[in-house]
Amino acid sequence: MRARDGVLRQRRTYVGLVAGVATAIGMTAAAWAADLTLAVPVGSEGDGLRAAAADYEKLKNIKVEIVQAPYANLFEKAANAGAQKTGDFDIVLMDDPWLPFFAENGYLEPLGSYFKAMGTDGPDSDFLAKSLALCRNPYNTGPYVCLPYVGNAQMFFYDPDQFAKHGVTGTPKTWDDVIKVAGEITKEGGGNNFGYVMRAAEGNPVVADFMPIFWSYGGQLFDKDRKPNLLTPEAKQAMDVFLKLKEVSPPGVESFNADEVGTYMAQGQAASSINWPNWVGTFEDPNQSKVVGKIAYSPIPSGTHAGSSEIGHWLMGITSASKHKQAAFDFMVWATSPEQIKQSALRGNPPVRFSVFTDPELTSQKQFRHFPILMNAINFSTPRPRHPKWPEIENAFGAELSKAVAGQETADQALQNAQKAIEAIVSR
Amino acid sequence: MATSSVRDAASTALRLEVWVERNLRYLLLAPTVIILLGLTVFPTVYMYIVAFQKFDPSNPAASQWIGFDNFARLLSDDKFHNALYRTFEFTFFAVSIEFALGLGFALLVDKHIRNLNFIKTVLLIPMMLPPICVAIVWKLMYAPQFGVINDIFKRVGLHPLQWASGYDTAMLSVIIADVWEWTPFVFLMCLAGLASMPTEPFEAADLDGASSWQKFRDLTWPFLRPIVSITLLLRIMDAFRLFDQVYVLTLGGPAAATETLSYYIYKVAFRFFDIGYAAAISIFMLIVTLMFSTWLLKRMQIAD
Repeated sequence: MRARDGVLRQRRTYVGLVAGVATAIGMTAAAWAADLTLAVPVGSEGDGLRAAAADYEKLKNIKVEIVQAPYANLFEKAANAGAQKTGDFDIVLMDDPWLPFFAENGYLEPLGSYFKAMGTDGPDSDFLAKSLALCRNPYNTGPYVCLPYVGNAQMFFYDPDQFAKHGVTGTPKTWDDVIKVAGEITKEGGGNNFGYVMRAAEGNPVVADFMPIFWSYGGQLFDKDRKPNLLTPEAKQAMDVFLKLKEVSPPGVESFNADEVGTYMAQGQAASSINWPNWVGTFEDPNQSKVVGKIAYSPIPSGTHAGSSEIGHWLMGITSASKHKQAAFDFMVWATSPEQIKQSALRGNPPVRFSVFTDPELTSQKQFRHFPILMNAINFSTPRPRHPKWPEIENAFGAELSKAVAGQETADQALQNAQKAIEAIVSR
Repeated sequence: MATSSVRDAASTALRLEVWVERNLRYLLLAPTVIILLGLTVFPTVYMYIVAFQKFDPSNPAASQWIGFDNFARLLSDDKFHNALYRTFEFTFFAVSIEFALGLGFALLVDKHIRNLNFIKTVLLIPMMLPPICVAIVWKLMYAPQFGVINDIFKRVGLHPLQWASGYDTAMLSVIIADVWEWTPFVFLMCLAGLASMPTEPFEAADLDGASSWQKFRDLTWPFLRPIVSITLLLRIMDAFRLFDQVYVLTLGGPAAATETLSYYIYKVAFRFFDIGYAAAISIFMLIVTLMFSTWLLKRMQIAD
């Protein structure tokens, strides 16, 4: 009898334990339930929005949860949540080329009715027009599905002293200038100093470095009927220039991503590159850079056409499965207000508003001296082709560019193969 | 009245307790079973379903059935062929080298330095590290301009290589990193096999005057064979799904020179969101692995 009591007591303990654990899990989940959940990338863009969200929490006395993931994982998480309509995230901070995929699959909430409730048609005109154009789907014409937060566009970074020594004073105007000067610097550098450094790792990196050159020679990836358009003299010319730049770059650019390019520039071992503005902070920081104050920033040089940067904004959108849409919209309007965009600029993220770009309090400071050029670069930038299959197209194009850079294919072969591959993707 | 309601409540509580007690074993198992169903069984079943569908990211439930189209695409997809070839290339070279080195070290240590536990421990360190850390360390060492390997090359007068960046050296770089990490595993397994060997046959062989080679061929190797087979099988299956090192070192490049099947599946599934096709490639990979392991086990005569 006593033994049976013992067993019973033991079992009651088990039952109690199971119930206890279940209650604890339930309570933790309830305690964690946030008023707003944001998915943001690792890096300065995500850090900036996280800091802003912390301010907002205090201001409104609500709970904002931040999910921060590396670039590729953020896309996976957000796309999975979108496809499964889980409503895990209320707001996603997206890289702009992702937008067609998210918008055309219905993962994003159109913002028109929210603006109407506010008494306006859309975002105010202090935002740069190119920044706002990205937030509409289709590009520049459709309804708003997000708001711009970080205003990136490529710029040309160069060392004016070295360029002047080789006969180009002031801003290098054309790619021919760059190839000539960079060739001479690389030749004299004896393997320790290079005239140009290319970002040519397979996939997104090599495409991002190629596109501005492609546009400078009048190339267009798609024609008016959205058909691939790579078998043109413009594309061939751009490819030849790209391969010439590879010749004067350091060995191993085939696997270089932004980090390697930035390191070469910061160490003073390369005299020029196409780069994103968030590197300015690194180059002007004496702890990380040997070239403080020595690098100049300019628009992308011209080819046969005017140079044009690739635009690369970070955009905030509300997921269509969100259960806190109005709260999310209120947060987005607050976070993109002039005061908050200025705060974001002070945290190291380029702005998206004219008033912040031209704010004398900022432009008088050394680390913001590139703002006029960056604003110009955004105003004359080109977006990556808007296509819901862009990640796959970019991958196929990047693979062929990578083969050309690695010397596995000629420029013509690479263009022909890329054309064929992109045709197959688009028609599928 | 009050007494009867108290009695009712008491009897309900008792009934509940009896029920819980009777089903306690199921209740205690339930969380594990639910987790297993959710994380293993459901995804596997879903993979088989979606492999026959054209996945629609805007509404997965409305994905179209397309029969064997995803599998037919495998035949004409150059990138898939390349990934398959690269995977075999990597698996063959990496496992061969790991095996030669691991067995060699094990024989050496077993014979000559059996009591030096310190050396055994040091040799095991690479295996203990997370693969992603190993890959990051090698990435830094391989860096063409700032990496330590090229620095050593330059100091001793050798021509620096492009390592993970070069089309011709990228696969070699991935293989070296893998060999560094996984040779200790082969070593450990072989060492365990050697340590558990009976001593009598060797003493008899010594009495009969057998040479070292004869002893290895006729005694050590046959005794070691079951362990070797299992080790080979584990290593091959693991190498076949290589992902981390490629992801960190090369991103599959340059020019797809290191794009393995796992990495390609990852790209198709999570970059292009072509989930159906990715499932079809995964099933193909599963079949190849199953066929190969069955064949190897049969050949090594340890299947039963």
